[in-house]
Amino acid sequence: MTKLARTGVWPGILLAAGVLAVCLALGLALGPVSLSLSQLWHLVTAGPVQGDLENAIFWEIRMPRVLVAALVGGALAVAGVILQDLFLNPLTDPYVTGVSSGAALGATIGIVLHWSNLPWITVLAIVGGLGTLVIVWMAARRRGRIDIFVLLLAGVTISYLASALVTVLMIKANQDMTAIIYWLMGSFSGRGWGDVRVALVTIPFMVLPLFFTREMDILLQGEKRALELGVEVERTKRLLLVTAGVLTALAVSVSGIIAFVGLVVPHIVRLLMGPGHRGLLPVSLLAGASLMVIADLLSRTVISPNEIPVGVVTTFVGAPLFVYLLRRGRRA
Amino acid sequence: MTTTRIGRLTAALLLSATLAVGVIALSACGSGSDTTASSSPSAASAAGPITVTDDSGAQVTLDQPATKIVSLAPANTEIAYAIGAGDKMVAGTSYDDYPEAAKALPKIGDFANPNIEKIASYSPDLVLAAGGIQDKLRSKLEALGMKVYVVDPKTYDGTIATIENVGKLAGTEAAATAVADTMTAAETEVQAKVSGLTPASTFLEIYSKPLMTAGSGTFIDDMIAIAGGENIGAQAGAGFPNFSTEVLVKDDPQVYIADSGSMSAPGEINKRPGFGELTAVKDGKVYVIEDSIIARPGPRLAEGLQKLAEMIHPEASAAQ
Repeated sequence: MTKLARTGVWPGILLAAGVLAVCLALGLALGPVSLSLSQLWHLVTAGPVQGDLENAIFWEIRMPRVLVAALVGGALAVAGVILQDLFLNPLTDPYVTGVSSGAALGATIGIVLHWSNLPWITVLAIVGGLGTLVIVWMAARRRGRIDIFVLLLAGVTISYLASALVTVLMIKANQDMTAIIYWLMGSFSGRGWGDVRVALVTIPFMVLPLFFTREMDILLQGEKRALELGVEVERTKRLLLVTAGVLTALAVSVSGIIAFVGLVVPHIVRLLMGPGHRGLLPVSLLAGASLMVIADLLSRTVISPNEIPVGVVTTFVGAPLFVYLLRRGRRA
Repeated sequence: MTTTRIGRLTAALLLSATLAVGVIALSACGSGSDTTASSSPSAASAAGPITVTDDSGAQVTLDQPATKIVSLAPANTEIAYAIGAGDKMVAGTSYDDYPEAAKALPKIGDFANPNIEKIASYSPDLVLAAGGIQDKLRSKLEALGMKVYVVDPKTYDGTIATIENVGKLAGTEAAATAVADTMTAAETEVQAKVSGLTPASTFLEIYSKPLMTAGSGTFIDDMIAIAGGENIGAQAGAGFPNFSTEVLVKDDPQVYIADSGSMSAPGEINKRPGFGELTAVKDGKVYVIEDSIIARPGPRLAEGLQKLAEMIHPEASAAQ
């Protein structure tokens, strides 16, 4: 696996892209109505057609759902890489900044106000997530620089506060408790093209860090060393933090809080590709997308017509894989 | 940071555990107490102890008719008022909104979080509890010396039986029988209307995000069948399970009914991804039904049943 890192990053990226292509094909082909490859091809080439149930299932229900899952998985994985490396802490996931709890609070307010069937829940979640980012940001800013540890502590504190408020709302409006709990667990059920449009906004934010891989590599050696090597530390940190925050807020706003992907995908990819960001970032993006598409596929097919919350599946799929790779990585 | 993550994981685990327990409890109820509550014949006499079997299968014995009743669910409150035991009600829940008089009752908390100390403070001689999340409450209330009747019917007829039982316990049997007769008459009328008609496949939405439905072994499932519908949600298991949108579109319901608690509106339902192709949408058979007449196992289920029949088989109602 270190050989992979030495031979350059392109084989890894191409392999990950291939895996994602297969996962997308599986995600689109399988479901309560299973499609053969030729049917799949026929549906894709025909485009959305009125008056055909199978076509509606494919274009209106399955396609947007698979796309949202892929984008959310990629966004969480990229945010995870950025935050783990900025905080120099392997236990970091995209949710430590408090952005997800803020988003959850926004969504809960939307649910309690019964704005359920408008895009309002998504809008409120984005507002809540970005609002939290601003608060945490202001708390961590000292004389023009961002103190990473204050940021982390402020994030955790705001996280607790937002969760406490969510709990209060849940108890005050307990006829909505089920909806809130399901939202918090995360799901891609019923996601349509409107959600795809929101999720598509993550793409520039996923691409942006790819232009800062050298700076990110150097930052791994500590801020002081990075300064000595001529990296504009504060500017880079700011850019990366905002990127990770926006990615998390967008991902959470369309899918709820899905565990494990943002924590584990970066680690798995580091074990396979090494810590260099030129390989780590793009492969994490592709691997996060693949894992999420497969997890969503399992969540909607295993006990159909019921659905398992996708966060449960990401954990079931990711945890054994991660433990296996950790053990293998030790030995190598 | 480790603590938050662990905290979050613990919370998630607790949540899933709670949900799992809830699901198991619901399905257990579904299989266990399907036999409708029945009363022992000796209960009919006014003097002497009154014994009935409640919807959890437990025997409830009162030495004399109840005089102070606490209700732990809006449906139970409706039953008490309908059978003429309104003046015996000493407390209800914060969601009680029918009949009008029930709103003025002292509150013991709500359906999900009844306050045991509050309940005890009224020293009721009968507590009308609900099933599901209130399952554990019974032993606590009984330990405090209270008599508990669990209202948790799984069918329309089971609801009628439970109303008659409560009437016996409250000593208002004649009024309860009158309510039961009205409900039975509504059922007979609906059955006559839809007899001979092909059952229409029907989806009943309890919640939209996630999509939840009424599964098998619920009185809603039973009422859909009586009203001449075929409940698509029954395949998803007992209780109120979540339901795959893809399967819904594949099964293509002829009638789509949203419980008003889902906060959905027909115009919005028609616009959901993939719904444009549904037969129910094309035929204009997408409805919203008031949740208090379909989701509360009480006297107004009769009204709910008639509404369901009108929605599922409008042609039958128009013909008469």
